[in-house]
Amino acid sequence: MRLARVLAEDWLGHYPEFRDFFVRSFDLDRVGLARPGWLRAPSGAAYALIFIGRSGEPFPSGVEIHAVVPALEPLDEAQVDRDLWAILQWVVAGVGGVWTVEALQATGQLFRIAVAVQQSGD
Amino acid sequence: MDALALRDGIHQQWPFAPHFARVNGWRMHYVDEGAGDPVVLLHGNPTWGFLYRDFVAPLTEAGHRVIIPDMIGFGLSEKPTQENDHSLDGHIANLTALMRGLDLQRITLVCHDWGGPTGLGFAFSNSERVRALVLMSTWGWPLPPAEFHTRIFPWRMMHAPLIGPYLLGRHNALARRGVYLSVVDRARFVAGAMTAYEAVLPDPASRLLTWVWPRWIPMDDTARARDRFAWLERQLRACVLPALLVWGREDDVFDPAIFATRFKQLLPQAEGPHLVTGRHFLQEDSGPEIAARIVDFLRCVP
Repeated sequence: MRLARVLAEDWLGHYPEFRDFFVRSFDLDRVGLARPGWLRAPSGAAYALIFIGRSGEPFPSGVEIHAVVPALEPLDEAQVDRDLWAILQWVVAGVGGVWTVEALQATGQLFRIAVAVQQSGD
Repeated sequence: MDALALRDGIHQQWPFAPHFARVNGWRMHYVDEGAGDPVVLLHGNPTWGFLYRDFVAPLTEAGHRVIIPDMIGFGLSEKPTQENDHSLDGHIANLTALMRGLDLQRITLVCHDWGGPTGLGFAFSNSERVRALVLMSTWGWPLPPAEFHTRIFPWRMMHAPLIGPYLLGRHNALARRGVYLSVVDRARFVAGAMTAYEAVLPDPASRLLTWVWPRWIPMDDTARARDRFAWLERQLRACVLPALLVWGREDDVFDPAIFATRFKQLLPQAEGPHLVTGRHFLQEDSGPEIAARIVDFLRCVP
């Protein structure tokens, strides 16, 4: 298997509640950089969350999402895109407060993101 | 994206020779046409010099030298790939490096969107080089931002952590759909211009600044750029430069009733605001009309 980076965020702290969500969800105050966070998307595919530390900033400063794929096989990019959308919905639901899945869905539809448009028609 | 890789349809509208300068270690692309007192045309997010394609001929024919830089991170300039490579002060310094490198004097700065805070930052720290200001759909004060910028849907959600890189990075949502929604004549935009904005942001990593700039808009007193914007506002209050305000009548992001009015209060000597057909990207709908306004304005500026 290999890890293929499919999405990267340099600055989780832009809205600190997003960073707090990852700290809670993956026990990062205790785990730190010792191991990735693991997710399984609705498709069944596995993803590794690699957290990034940066001197002078609260941990984690960033996060990369890597698809776990067979070593010599290309990515199924359409599947990855749907999985990422599902992961973003999970993140937004977990952050909570003013951040709602409905607002994410509406934003995706406004920008004609295929998976968001498709879900709105389901 | 190399200048030579621009598609034929874009070349026909953008026939200008590319120039490159090294600014703060980055490769900056700019256009340099005509001769005379320079008019420097500054774009914002997520556009590039192409936004001003209809301005070059009228301004050069009126006896001006036209300089159109592509902000580092956009257009044909180098595109850093780490968020920390971008800051408001850094972009002001990039512009300053180009202006000093070309040793421009008697500059008229034409500022749109983030070309406003960066252009004004240069103007107020290099006032001996600046002759006049033209301001369009921009701002130069810390708080409050437009009501639009305070909303979760769509603005704050659009550039939230991970969501910005997904929507604006993987899907190029701002250069594709965002600009489209912010012009009046959308059919004409699709037929003649949209490709030019998409083509220079071909890969997710090349689109970084499209979600980084929104994160630099001050939303509260802890914002990174709050002090710089407060300085810009103080400088605007003290500014006596001749100025021209041009705004899109249909601008629902930087509402002319709020933003043009505020500039008029800060710069009472300013001509205008002149309202033209246009939303935020008013140059797409009224480029020749705005260019003519600038030519007329500069005829009266000493």
